[in-house]
Amino acid sequence: MAPILPISGVPSPESIRPAGQSKGGGAFQDAFTSAIQNVEAFSQDATASAQRFLSGEGEELHTTIMATQKAELAFDMFLQMRNKVVSAYQEVMRMQM
Amino acid sequence: MSLFSVLSIGASGMQAQRVRAEMLTENLANAETTRTPEGGPYRRKDVVFETTAAASPFASIFDAQMNAPGGVAVSEIVTDMGDPEKRYLPGHPDADKDGYVAFPKVDPAADMVDLMGTARSYQANVAAMSAVKDMIQRSFDLFR
Amino acid sequence: MLNPLAGQIERYMDLLSARQKLVASNIANVDTPGYRTQDIDFQSEFLNAAGRGTPHTIGVPDLAVKNDGNDVSLDRESRLLAENALRFNLASNLMRSQLRLVKSAIQEGKS
Repeated sequence: MAPILPISGVPSPESIRPAGQSKGGGAFQDAFTSAIQNVEAFSQDATASAQRFLSGEGEELHTTIMATQKAELAFDMFLQMRNKVVSAYQEVMRMQM
Repeated sequence: MSLFSVLSIGASGMQAQRVRAEMLTENLANAETTRTPEGGPYRRKDVVFETTAAASPFASIFDAQMNAPGGVAVSEIVTDMGDPEKRYLPGHPDADKDGYVAFPKVDPAADMVDLMGTARSYQANVAAMSAVKDMIQRSFDLFR
Repeated sequence: MLNPLAGQIERYMDLLSARQKLVASNIANVDTPGYRTQDIDFQSEFLNAAGRGTPHTIGVPDLAVKNDGNDVSLDRESRLLAENALRFNLASNLMRSQLRLVKSAIQEGKS
């Protein structure tokens, strides 16, 4: 029979660290961040282009429309990604623990 | 320089050609007029064109400073002040003491040719405006 | 987001617009004494990828000069007018399909 060993201390709560972000989420995170930056940048471009057009500075109509379309597309993209994040979160929450 | 300013270029072209057509028509109508309110025979009129900066209500000062190619305007209407043509017609009411009547120096054939040229130029301006309007419309279609 | 082709199509449309403006000016000034036909060197402006500003206006060689110093040929300008309009039409259609491609790619992600 093995000798009875003393019980080692219960691990203290501080030493239990959270699971931490998995490295696999990095790629999506980068895409998400750049999507947000795109929305901002393209939206500013579109506003500037529209202002130039309206003030008669010689901005071509098709240039302004393209800038507006790009801004819309960027926003669409961002929206879809955001929805993905939200639904992924909801799916996780639904999981039986 | 937006495509919109091109519409005013085309319009100025049409306007200028119309003035020219009016002058030519007046010349032709008065080719035989020996008596005018100002005295003497009808005197032939001609137009002189000059290039103008493209003007548009939406154009900015920036546009005009860029010396952009522009439209056209009638800079002046020139009246022919040369000696009239004299023909020997003693029985004519406007004959002078020697029996000569002063007639306008209008060459109807030349002015007819010019008039046809004016019509063609006018049409070309109309076509230009139409083409540009179409391009603007197609730009709008990018929205769909 | 949009591929480089879209940027090129936009540059193409810019140049076509600039050229059409000059054509309209030429037509309007067909009877202006001393006026010289204006154009842009389309090919080199397009291939010059760096350029984003207003293209450089050039004169056109080998045009018959009339007695009043004007060298505008209505035949040439009318031909260019039609050609530019057709090319612009084509470009805007190409651009539209580029936009639609990206739009549907984004929509496809929605599931």
